[in-house]
Amino acid sequence: MPTSKSADPILLTMGEPAGVGPEVAVRAFQMLGGTINGRPLKLIGDPDVFVSCGAPREAVIATKARATRVPGKPDRANAAATIEAIASAVSLAMKGQAAALVTAPINKHVLMETGFAFPGHTDFLQALTGAPRAVMMLASEVIRVVPLTVHIPIAKVPGSISIASIVETAEITLAALKRDFGIAAPRLAVAGLNPHAGEDGDIGREEIDVLRPAIAALQAKGHTVIGPLPSDTMFHGEARTRYDVALCMYHDQALIPIKTLSFWDGVNVTLGLPIVRTSPDHGTAFEIAGTGKADPRSMVAAVRMAAAMADARAR
Amino acid sequence: MVNRIGLTMGDPAGIGPEVICKALKDMSAAERAATLVIADPVFMARASALVGADLDFVTTDAAVEAGKVADGGVPLLPVEANNRDAILPGQLSADAGEVGCRIIKTAVELALAKKIDVICTAALNKTAIRMAGYALNGHAGLLSHFTGVKKCYAVLACPQLSVIHVTTHVALSKAAGLCRTELILDTIRAAHRHVLTTGVARPRVAVAAINPHAGEAGLYGTEDQEQVVPAVEAACAEGILATGPIPGDVVFEQAIDGKFDIVVAQFHDQGHIPAKLIGRHETVNITAGLPILRTSVDQGTAFDIAWKGVARPGNMKAAIAMARRMRPV
Repeated sequence: MPTSKSADPILLTMGEPAGVGPEVAVRAFQMLGGTINGRPLKLIGDPDVFVSCGAPREAVIATKARATRVPGKPDRANAAATIEAIASAVSLAMKGQAAALVTAPINKHVLMETGFAFPGHTDFLQALTGAPRAVMMLASEVIRVVPLTVHIPIAKVPGSISIASIVETAEITLAALKRDFGIAAPRLAVAGLNPHAGEDGDIGREEIDVLRPAIAALQAKGHTVIGPLPSDTMFHGEARTRYDVALCMYHDQALIPIKTLSFWDGVNVTLGLPIVRTSPDHGTAFEIAGTGKADPRSMVAAVRMAAAMADARAR
Repeated sequence: MVNRIGLTMGDPAGIGPEVICKALKDMSAAERAATLVIADPVFMARASALVGADLDFVTTDAAVEAGKVADGGVPLLPVEANNRDAILPGQLSADAGEVGCRIIKTAVELALAKKIDVICTAALNKTAIRMAGYALNGHAGLLSHFTGVKKCYAVLACPQLSVIHVTTHVALSKAAGLCRTELILDTIRAAHRHVLTTGVARPRVAVAAINPHAGEAGLYGTEDQEQVVPAVEAACAEGILATGPIPGDVVFEQAIDGKFDIVVAQFHDQGHIPAKLIGRHETVNITAGLPILRTSVDQGTAFDIAWKGVARPGNMKAAIAMARRMRPV
């Protein structure tokens, strides 16, 4: 008999052992009492690292590779355990033995020094799961944003957006809102690239040449899509009632509104994967690791969102 | 000392006259006496009646000292429209644009002559300005033109956050190339001087990064190292408390948290998104880098609701409150 899907565990990966990851994972575990929506929470990584942060040993799924936690002092010797924690968690989720992954932050510079070929979690998870394309969404209780372009210089943004990339990203996002967020008829708003969404071509032509045709193509496929909207007036409460997710053209356009509205409880969600994956939207914060100052709210929000997504998928 | 603000009517076909009258209605007698409305008296009387303000406009010369008007009266310097009958509620017209521009010219002259301390403006319509024969872009264009200044800077301010912009109404594809050391440095200086006018003795100026994560050591672009860092260093060498580049998704939260008095944003939306989100109806416009002080509503002429008496005065009141706080330095 397979176990009930609604009782599959949610896995919290260790992340960089020298950063705030293990401590916020354990704090979230404690605050939630080791369970959420009837699902057990499991920590995956080096047991001693988690236990040193206050976790009960029985809550840990141990990696074969070992790691040593010295807060604030990353060590490349820990890379193997950090990577194995993610890979094992993905493997369990792919086999249907875990409901979701919540990943604690890693440090890409530390991992890349050891030959890790991926610039971050998202690319690694995409490769492990064989997903054709993954989309990053940032979400809180009050706002969801997807940056179309992410880690590229602002000067390269206008040349990097295309009708095809907008349509593809929007469709992955809308499908995920249906499947993982239980929104039957999701509505997507496209942010303009230029100030005032280009003011009919007076301040840039991308809205006319790229954004509007992409929106029309999406509408023709039956999706509810509005825009391009001026990005300085589309994020206040009243405006947000008109859409479920905002597709932004660049990093700051997406990150600034969610950080302004939800600085402490923003969650990073990867859409388009066969598995559910969320993470807190902060980094390793080496400067405060081990001091007890790390705020677990974003990690708690990430666990809650992962559980809600897993429940939506199980229904 | 109470500073005297010059309140300009804006486009008379828009919501300017009525929001001004609503704001005046709620002022104390002393505040009214320290206000000079620069407007067409006929439109102001109509607006006063429309909103039930029953204001006593005292037509006056700008030289009249505060306090000389009758108790509760509102000093008004008349600048009359050439053809009032051609100006209709909610209708775009050259006549409305023309009188709006002439009012700004008058206000600038009064401010330059130090007969008023700050100008606070109601909205003009960019198209009406062009129809009136001015090849200038909005208020900022008019103010630069009338004061003979080449470059001025848009500030958005609310109680929690002030933001100044290196670039504003240019396509993003061009903006990135415009954010160069010299212009960033000039914007930092304008930010510093602006904060001084609000009574802060040692302004702390944060500079937002151009690229995500401030370029992440060159991984996401070199502009922050090449353009922003030298500007911040030069500003510090001049004695300005400048910090940056700080990533865009971090710096505004730090300023809202009280760490900085103003943020230098590189692009229109980088600064406008947080300023409008956090301040909502309290966010006002300020033009920095002029030889005069100027605040403004952060709204348009709203022709669709003009002269129906429904326009809300909150933003006008916030712009007036900001003007009251500012002092020439």
